[in-house]
Amino acid sequence: MSYKIPMGPYHPALEEPYKLDMICEGETVVDANLNIGFNFRGIEHLAETRNHIQVIALMERVCGICSNIHTLTLCNAMEKLTNLTPPPRAQYIRVIMAELERLHSHVLWAGIAAKLMGFKTMFMTCFEIREKVMDVLQAISGNRVNYSMNRIGGVNRDITDPDSILKMVEKLEAEMLSTVIPIFTTSRTATSRCAGVGVLTTEKAIALGVVGPVARASGVPQDLRKAAPYAAYAEMEFDVPVQPAGDVRARLLVRALEIMESCKILRQALSKLPPGEIHTEGEKFAFITGTATARVEAPRGEVMYSVSWKEGSRNPARVHVRTPTFVVMPAIRWMVQGARLADTPLIQASIDPCYSCTDR
Amino acid sequence: MTLLESIPEKLGSTETFVEKGGVHWLPLGAMNVRELAKAMNGLHARFITITAYQLPKEEGFRLEYHWDLDGQLLGFAFVLAGNTIESIFDLCEASDWIEREIHEEYSLEFTGREYEPLLLRQGDETGVNLRDGVTASGAAASSQEKK
Repeated sequence: MSYKIPMGPYHPALEEPYKLDMICEGETVVDANLNIGFNFRGIEHLAETRNHIQVIALMERVCGICSNIHTLTLCNAMEKLTNLTPPPRAQYIRVIMAELERLHSHVLWAGIAAKLMGFKTMFMTCFEIREKVMDVLQAISGNRVNYSMNRIGGVNRDITDPDSILKMVEKLEAEMLSTVIPIFTTSRTATSRCAGVGVLTTEKAIALGVVGPVARASGVPQDLRKAAPYAAYAEMEFDVPVQPAGDVRARLLVRALEIMESCKILRQALSKLPPGEIHTEGEKFAFITGTATARVEAPRGEVMYSVSWKEGSRNPARVHVRTPTFVVMPAIRWMVQGARLADTPLIQASIDPCYSCTDR
Repeated sequence: MTLLESIPEKLGSTETFVEKGGVHWLPLGAMNVRELAKAMNGLHARFITITAYQLPKEEGFRLEYHWDLDGQLLGFAFVLAGNTIESIFDLCEASDWIEREIHEEYSLEFTGREYEPLLLRQGDETGVNLRDGVTASGAAASSQEKK
């Protein structure tokens, strides 16, 4: 006999609302139905009432964790409509901020994943490291969550002492190398809780169009930083970790390896930070009529903004945001099929979902 | 010949891609959206999203379909005089949620599929448009008035 178990909208794993109705036979999940929309704020429509400065502050609030990525993508799109090119130093600072945000996001996720595995000391370790990443972000931007770094034509704040930031990053890297990475890649607890759980096959990942670490953990080697480089990524050397298994452990491994790749990029960007302006100072600009699209590799995968403007207008005519979780979340239905009920919170958390991004 | 240059011929188009605003656009002529989706599947392109634009003065809608092909962003636009277009959900599973979202926000009907509520929760009512002056039935009433 099958029965339905509703999970959410107050979620046992993550403190954001969404609902998963699971059809179970005994302890096994046979199917699931997802319900989102509990965080729907109508941000895309609100954006049509904001000018080019206000809209940046608004879109920074689509997501609390990858706030910088949203303004970066939006500014990239608006720069195409204003024919402004940020100076090289600004492009490097954008890379530094994006990679610090990826570190912050991945370490935060690692902590939550550890908690769900029943590995609470690891949760504490991850959150301690995350605090230090946020300290670096604060040292650069003055803020710990919404950094207000991006503007049309560059960035708002310079990195005046890259050597001190580099020292902070190296210390962080050493700490992660001695704690998070070995535990997540070799620990028996992590392996036993994650291996073979919540599998998303390569074929299904391609069919669903999933992106980011979830796609790469299902053997799909896509990363916009390599495939369609933006900011200064074309000048950075790094690898794109890919795992073929498609289970929770593969997602864990991909993110752990990406933490190390982010550190590699940060070291390069901070040591090669070019001199010069951080934005197109004093250059007047005007929006041309048209639509521009920009894509960026956020911590959870591809973010795409389409921005439409009419010449002479104060506000955008349309801002459309396609966030990574919007395309990754439908995959949960396939991941939980055949799983044990007790594993489903970890499976859901393994995609690193952001409900605020999804609902907008 | 690059991959991008070879696509129009595969789609039966005499046009070429034009890069504008970060997107490679190809005018499709008489090709419909389902033929396009089949062609994109054949090229192993990754579906990204559909962006809906409401045209002024009740001129209808413009839908922009986006696929990624080896890091290149492809765009195909369809202008709708009415409010219906064929669904590609059965050909492209990744389009499910965005078709449902556009259905709710813009009152557009993607024919050939069934819907469940996605973002909006107002009983069983779907096709709730968020913009003032437009409703599911196309009547002039604001979302505020509906409440």
